[in-house]
Amino acid sequence: MAEIKSNAASVEFREVTKVYGKSPVPAVNNVSLFVEAGKLVTLLGPSGCGKTTTLRMIAGLEMATRGQILIGGADVTHLPATDRDVSMVFQSYALFPHMTVNENVEYGLKFSGFAKKEIGDRARAGLELVGLSGYGGRLPSELSGGQQQRVAVARALVLEPQVLLFDEPLSNLDAKLRRRVREEIRDIQTKLGLTVVYVTHDQEEALAVSDRIIVMNNAVIAQDGTPRELYDAPADAFVADFIGEANIFDCEIASVADGLANVRLGGLETKLDARGMAPGPAKLAVRPSRIEIKPAGSARTIPGRLDKVTYVGSDLEFMVGTEFGEVFAVSSDVDAPFVPGQDVGIGFAARGPVLIRA
Amino acid sequence: MKTVLLRSAALAALMMAGGASAQAESLTLYCSADEAWCQQIKTGFEEKTGITVDMTRKSSGETYAQVRAEASNPKGDVWWGGTGDPHLQAAEENLTEEYMSPMRGELHDWAIKQAEAAGNKTIGVYSGALGFGYNKDLLAKNGLPEPKCWADLTKPEFKGQIQIANPNSSGTAYTTLATMVQLMGEDKGFEYMKALHANINQYTKSGSAPIKAAGLGETTVGIVFMHDAVAQTAAGFPIVTVAPCEGTGYEIGSMSLIKGARNPEAAKKFYDWALSAEMQGKAKDVKSFQLPSNKAAAVSELTPDLSTIKLIDYDFKKYGSSEERKRLLSKWDTEVSTLPQ
Amino acid sequence: MRSRDFSGGLHPTVILWMAVGMLGFAVLPWYGVEDGFFGLSWLFEGYPLDSKLAPALVLNLKGEKLWLAPLGLLLAAPLLLWGRQKSDPLFGKLLVAIGAAGFAWLLFQGFAIGLRGWQFGWLQSLFGELGDRQFGMGYGALLVGLAFLFLFSIGLAARGAVGGDVFVVSTIAFVVASVGLFIFMPILQMLANALITEDGSYSLTTFLGKLSSPRLWSLDCLAGGSRCGVAWNSLFLAVLVGVLTTVLGLVFALMVTRTGFRHGKLLRALTVLPIITPPFVIGLAIILLFGLSGAVTQTFSELFGIQPTRWIYGLPGLLIAQLLAFTPIAFLVLIGVVEGVSPSMEEAAQTLRANRWQTFWTVSLPLMRPGLANAFLLGFIESMADFGNPLVLGGNFDVLSTEIFFAIVGAQNDEAQAAVLAIVLLAFTLLAFYAQRFWLGKKSYTTMSGKGDAGMHPELPTGLKRGVYGVAGFWVAFTIFVYATIFYGSFVKLWGVDHSLTFAHYVKAFAVGWNEFGIHWKGSAWSSFWTTLQIALISSPLTAAIGLLTAYLLVRQNFAGKNAFEFGTMLSFAIPGTVIGVSYVIAFNVPPIELTGTGIILVLSFIFRNMPVGVRAGVASMSQIDKSLDESSLTLGANSWQTFRKVVLPLLRPAIVAALVYSFVRAMTAISAIIFLVSARYDMSTSYIVGRVENNEYGIAIAYSAVLIGVMLAVVGLMQLLVGRRNIGRRGHELSQSRTNVSQPAFSGGG
Repeated sequence: MAEIKSNAASVEFREVTKVYGKSPVPAVNNVSLFVEAGKLVTLLGPSGCGKTTTLRMIAGLEMATRGQILIGGADVTHLPATDRDVSMVFQSYALFPHMTVNENVEYGLKFSGFAKKEIGDRARAGLELVGLSGYGGRLPSELSGGQQQRVAVARALVLEPQVLLFDEPLSNLDAKLRRRVREEIRDIQTKLGLTVVYVTHDQEEALAVSDRIIVMNNAVIAQDGTPRELYDAPADAFVADFIGEANIFDCEIASVADGLANVRLGGLETKLDARGMAPGPAKLAVRPSRIEIKPAGSARTIPGRLDKVTYVGSDLEFMVGTEFGEVFAVSSDVDAPFVPGQDVGIGFAARGPVLIRA
Repeated sequence: MKTVLLRSAALAALMMAGGASAQAESLTLYCSADEAWCQQIKTGFEEKTGITVDMTRKSSGETYAQVRAEASNPKGDVWWGGTGDPHLQAAEENLTEEYMSPMRGELHDWAIKQAEAAGNKTIGVYSGALGFGYNKDLLAKNGLPEPKCWADLTKPEFKGQIQIANPNSSGTAYTTLATMVQLMGEDKGFEYMKALHANINQYTKSGSAPIKAAGLGETTVGIVFMHDAVAQTAAGFPIVTVAPCEGTGYEIGSMSLIKGARNPEAAKKFYDWALSAEMQGKAKDVKSFQLPSNKAAAVSELTPDLSTIKLIDYDFKKYGSSEERKRLLSKWDTEVSTLPQ
Repeated sequence: MRSRDFSGGLHPTVILWMAVGMLGFAVLPWYGVEDGFFGLSWLFEGYPLDSKLAPALVLNLKGEKLWLAPLGLLLAAPLLLWGRQKSDPLFGKLLVAIGAAGFAWLLFQGFAIGLRGWQFGWLQSLFGELGDRQFGMGYGALLVGLAFLFLFSIGLAARGAVGGDVFVVSTIAFVVASVGLFIFMPILQMLANALITEDGSYSLTTFLGKLSSPRLWSLDCLAGGSRCGVAWNSLFLAVLVGVLTTVLGLVFALMVTRTGFRHGKLLRALTVLPIITPPFVIGLAIILLFGLSGAVTQTFSELFGIQPTRWIYGLPGLLIAQLLAFTPIAFLVLIGVVEGVSPSMEEAAQTLRANRWQTFWTVSLPLMRPGLANAFLLGFIESMADFGNPLVLGGNFDVLSTEIFFAIVGAQNDEAQAAVLAIVLLAFTLLAFYAQRFWLGKKSYTTMSGKGDAGMHPELPTGLKRGVYGVAGFWVAFTIFVYATIFYGSFVKLWGVDHSLTFAHYVKAFAVGWNEFGIHWKGSAWSSFWTTLQIALISSPLTAAIGLLTAYLLVRQNFAGKNAFEFGTMLSFAIPGTVIGVSYVIAFNVPPIELTGTGIILVLSFIFRNMPVGVRAGVASMSQIDKSLDESSLTLGANSWQTFRKVVLPLLRPAIVAALVYSFVRAMTAISAIIFLVSARYDMSTSYIVGRVENNEYGIAIAYSAVLIGVMLAVVGLMQLLVGRRNIGRRGHELSQSRTNVSQPAFSGGG
């Protein structure tokens, strides 16, 4: 029996720009990035941010207008998709409706110069890997959405590509299935040590599967880091807000010493990691879960009035009006004794607030 | 092994050579009569001589244009049929070859006359006189008198009963116009065309269309060549053919050898054969009722006998020239066609 | 794993095309051979040394036609690239230069040196008398031309054009070259021809004189004169036919979709009939019924004592015949559009308090605008190009298409005049084409999102419904009556004279006998019948192929000049057949491309006339296939040709059938273009039928038509069986059920 192996290779963009037609705005603007071999890296961002274009440029489905693209260290900038050793799983799965599951999985193998027997073996191994042995004779239309998705993965895997690409592979599945399939993808990736570039607009999905996340916004990279880095130390207000939710406060850095900044927020003063910032106006990002609702007048709090309290099962959600605008907070203490209209004080949990540039 | 190969190669070469020589005798015929007649001629000659005939059927005007275009690289060998004017024109422009056929002695005078007018570069193969035909059923139904003369057609009771082709698109209709001019003089001739105009229900595009319409009962009278009218009678339509009492013009269907032809010998063979009584006598089988130029050729009893028809002395040279044609047509256009009907 | 690099030598594709070019240059006869494209007798007639049959290389070695030598050198030039990679910038540059230079020189020498030496005055004055000449190009030149074209494409692709895809670049180059050669070149030559005076020189004044002739533009009839200019006649008739066919087509479409009418299939079958009816037949039947001695006319005159008249000849008869013939086309365009209007829109309007009338007028009808515009345009062009009906029924109502015909074959034999008339005709149709685009503007009429639409079309308002039923009922009855007449007519001895029944016409046309060689096709119609079938069967797959390839390029590929490309491929849609016919005669009668009198010219005229339909069918159905299917195939390692072959094509089966059927039917029934292009050896059914009509042999003409209709039905059924359905299971079921907004017409102009 053939075994699916990995030929994982790195992917590198060097100052790549993509402009569609005569459009004045580039879809991808001067982007440089590096994906190490064997890692799963997610491109995350709102729609229109350029993440799919970036993915398609890796695949060779779009050609870079400027810059250089390397896969496994070789320049592939001008190679068409056919000639690149890259496979892709599409959002719509793109299973060929007129071919059976087997024919779909064997499709790419046929163009790769394998012997007939090898093709069959590999296809079987691929289907087995995604848990669909025995489904080979069916038409894609006779499979459920999750099964179709797995066929698409198998079809891409059997080619043992240098890089495997996923374009929002879970968006057509329901919430429960989504969770399971993403675990499966991650398992296969780690098991085989594949290089995977994964596009999604769902931050939760990104946080769950990635070794690294590249957040894109307006055709450029907003931040590149591990899920933890992104969540705990967003580079700017956009990332802070896009990865999880965040309350953004205008604040003032009074002074900086030993990498610690003395930050003033209204009457509140606190010391935070300066992240290389100099004294002057800045912003403070605080996750809703890191905001504590306390009785009015408590120490180290900002005064506010509770506008809304929503019970969502596992949590209580608060909207608090303050001099800095509406503040959104979440507390897992569902029995907290607060009612709308009540004056409260809001405070920050330790390691909660993060300084970001104004 | 080797010898077998060699022998079969030699055999193949021989067969090819044989095939080539069999194919060498061929003839390219430009035919300007109707399809059935052209087909009959093609197969007739092939059967008679074994020479393959590649026949292209086009109107005489078109053929003339083609022969002129191909002058530097002639593809055709012989051009048979069609009204005489383009043949005369081709002779004038030296596109055709002089030839004195041994068959000349068997021909009618008018055929020889045609040849002499062109320095023997063309010759008459058939002729047909202009006339008209009427649908006798319709005539009776409308209570009209039998028309016998050109003059009858201008009578007011024939208003809306007559069809003729447009002389701009049809040689037949132009022959009619030229005939009237020669028969009555230019002024009177045009007076006649104007009077006729008042009775015309439609100017058709093609020359023989009027008599076909008459056959179907769509018009009472059609002015056409008489052999076309006879063909309708032969097909079973109630058509009566009339040779106008005042006299009438005619056409001489001609034949020419193309200068610089690729198969001159085969062309001459065809030429002589085409003038034979045997060949010309078969025209009636395909409902072509023109008068053959060979005196001995068999003729259908339906064919109008030219000797009983009063023929005018038609000046082919003058009225076939493009200046005269143009002048008469533009005069007809401005003076006749614009009149109310 | 997927590395396709090779080391050393020359890229295999380059070697392939060099070899093809060399085959053309050094082995095959350079000039056209006498006995036709597929004849092989040239092998035994002096090849390869006879100058007429020699390959270019032999000619050059003999010291003849030395102007061909640069082609040979250019063909060898890619050897300079020995050992270079595709990614080497020189690779692309040099191939582009070689391809372009070779192709340009091939064309230039072809046009510059003709039957009479130099063709251009300036060359004559530059080099003096040439003392040599050349004939039309043959196999050799064809292969060399293709070789240069594809070397050029490989070069372009290597330089990164269209994603560096050799297949796509080559296809684009091929389509552009063929459209250029077989649509633009003939049209341009025709335009040039319009300027020629009788003595052979070019004159703008003569041209303007002809163009402004009162025969074309006179408005006498408005001022009480006898008749109007031909151009006005054509225009008036075409507008009238366009409007009325659109109205009638809409009536039928509404009846089928919005009245609960149960016999939609029957109506569809009935409407297909006129489309597969050879021309003339309807006109003829109308004369036999309504002419001066027609059956209906006679009955009426006997019953009511009315004096029969020739009212049918001219505008009334033409209008009736063209409405009968062209309404089905409008119907087929409009039914898709009427079905495509989203029921939700109409339901929304009704919930907003519009009644059924108001909904119809304010929502449904405006949403059908693209369909209405297309239907009108088709009716307009069909009427403009119609040749058969005016010939039979025109009376004194002259129209452009017949004028063009008689300018060429009539006593005048004036190609320049024909060209002038053709220009007027072309101008009208192009104007209508642009007027349509302008009218539609940039508004969006798309109402389908691809998602299911669960609503129901509202029924028509009762008054409108009654009207619709009335009109449709009358039309259907009339059509049946006319076709019954046609059928009866084929069994009658001599219509109007002897009405006894007979099989004589069928026997005369289609008799079959036996002789020592086997079956002997005795009937007079067999020759043209087999030719027609052969030409139609050759041209229809080619038409479908080039049409679908073009559609693939338009839908799936992006490249510079795509808009111009689209315009070029759709241009022949707006060119009436008469114009194509005339321009082909003018362009392909003389070297470098000598095709008149061959079967090839017929095939070519069909391909390029019917290509837009293949394109549109392909575009419509390809837009339904998700682009990610192609892309996933590409990322799986298939190249674009393999993708096209394995993924796109199987999913396009319905479009393939449509294109095949259409081009086949067109090839069997077309008359306006081919009447100029037929020859004794390659006579087509329709022109044979014209000949019989001209000879008053109506019985045979009608019998032949009846046989053709039967054959077409059979072949169309067979095609559907052969190409088959796409088997895509449940999803395919949904696909076929999902409605699409057919904004493009399914049928193009000309007859």
